[in-house]
Amino acid sequence: MISYLVRNTFARILRSHNAVNIVASSAFKKDIHTTIPSYELMEFFDSKKNWTETSIRVGRAWKLDELRIKSNSDLHKLWYVLLKERNMLYTMEHECNDKMKLFPNPERIDKVQESMNNIETVVRERNVAYYKLETGETGERPVEDVVNIFGLPEKYEKSEHYLPKFMNTRWVRPYLEHGFTNSAAVKRFYRLNREKQHNNDRKARNRDFNHVQQLLKRFPNMDMEKLKAEYPNVDLEKAKRSKKARGHYFPKY
Amino acid sequence: MSTRWYPIYQRGNPQLRVFLPNFWMKLVRPRGTQLPNIVHFECSMEMTKHDIKNYLNKIYNIPVVEVRTKIFLGKFKRDIGKGYIVKDDDIKNAIVTLPKDMKFEYPDIFEKAKDETEEQEKALTEAKKSFQNYIDRNKNRSDVPSWFSI
Repeated sequence: MISYLVRNTFARILRSHNAVNIVASSAFKKDIHTTIPSYELMEFFDSKKNWTETSIRVGRAWKLDELRIKSNSDLHKLWYVLLKERNMLYTMEHECNDKMKLFPNPERIDKVQESMNNIETVVRERNVAYYKLETGETGERPVEDVVNIFGLPEKYEKSEHYLPKFMNTRWVRPYLEHGFTNSAAVKRFYRLNREKQHNNDRKARNRDFNHVQQLLKRFPNMDMEKLKAEYPNVDLEKAKRSKKARGHYFPKY
Repeated sequence: MSTRWYPIYQRGNPQLRVFLPNFWMKLVRPRGTQLPNIVHFECSMEMTKHDIKNYLNKIYNIPVVEVRTKIFLGKFKRDIGKGYIVKDDDIKNAIVTLPKDMKFEYPDIFEKAKDETEEQEKALTEAKKSFQNYIDRNKNRSDVPSWFSI
């Protein structure tokens, strides 16, 4: 009963963003209804006074540091408040789009989402801390560097399986008996993959070289050692001699 | 995500509890006419019928008799300029039956909305007024750019 009251009050606080409006009696009034309440479905809509508003002013999202000092149960309650608020905003946005109206202050959705992400971050932090203390591990999903069936490196996110590896004959056959796939199609794929990689490298090299030329043109008195440290793969002497590095002034180099 | 990482369900194990559900649901206007105790929702694609029932029951305190779900295929469109094909997201629709004695009618939210032309006119006059204000303020310093002030 109390948690229900608290939840309702929270929802109202967030909905109206105005603590003065909250009267305990209204929360009580809800509870002494004898018939089945049908207005719970109205929680999917904004409060009536906001229906015709063209701009609805709200505060900012919850910050990480504010959430870190809250207890677990508070975070849990706040999560449900935010969840309901997000559902409400989604519903109103949908209806506005349906009726070809402007949805007032759509950044509200982003703010709620950011708060929810922050809550998740805090819960995760606590989870990791607890696991480290108790077991010495993070308790996060384990990730392993593996070589996949094409012989390429891959990050494999481990998950639980009904069968252990050695019993899973369908999985074992391609992986353990035949080794890596080595057909003509795969060889062709390797070639194309290498070509792509090579092209990417070449483009990065040219991009850096051109950028250094432009830098030399704009800032001829730059600290060359720092530039060398920033772009170690660029031949500075060659860049200095090039036409692109020459500015509209008497050449320095 | 550690809080979303549950052991797989084996028969006989206790049912899994969702700690911080990330599901969303939105109440939408039903397509066509509908019985008064039937409500239409759109929801996350991952939600099952059990999830929908529990979600409404536990979080919103709405008694649910039956849930039916339907997935609408998103529309395929051809991009006008480039010619490639784009597809809208699929939509999961939940048709929820409430008990017989409950009624829900989708509210008309923009019933009392002010006339749009009136509002536009108001905004226009306001803009005109502020521009006039700006001109009046800079009457005596015509050569100074607008950003040059305290």
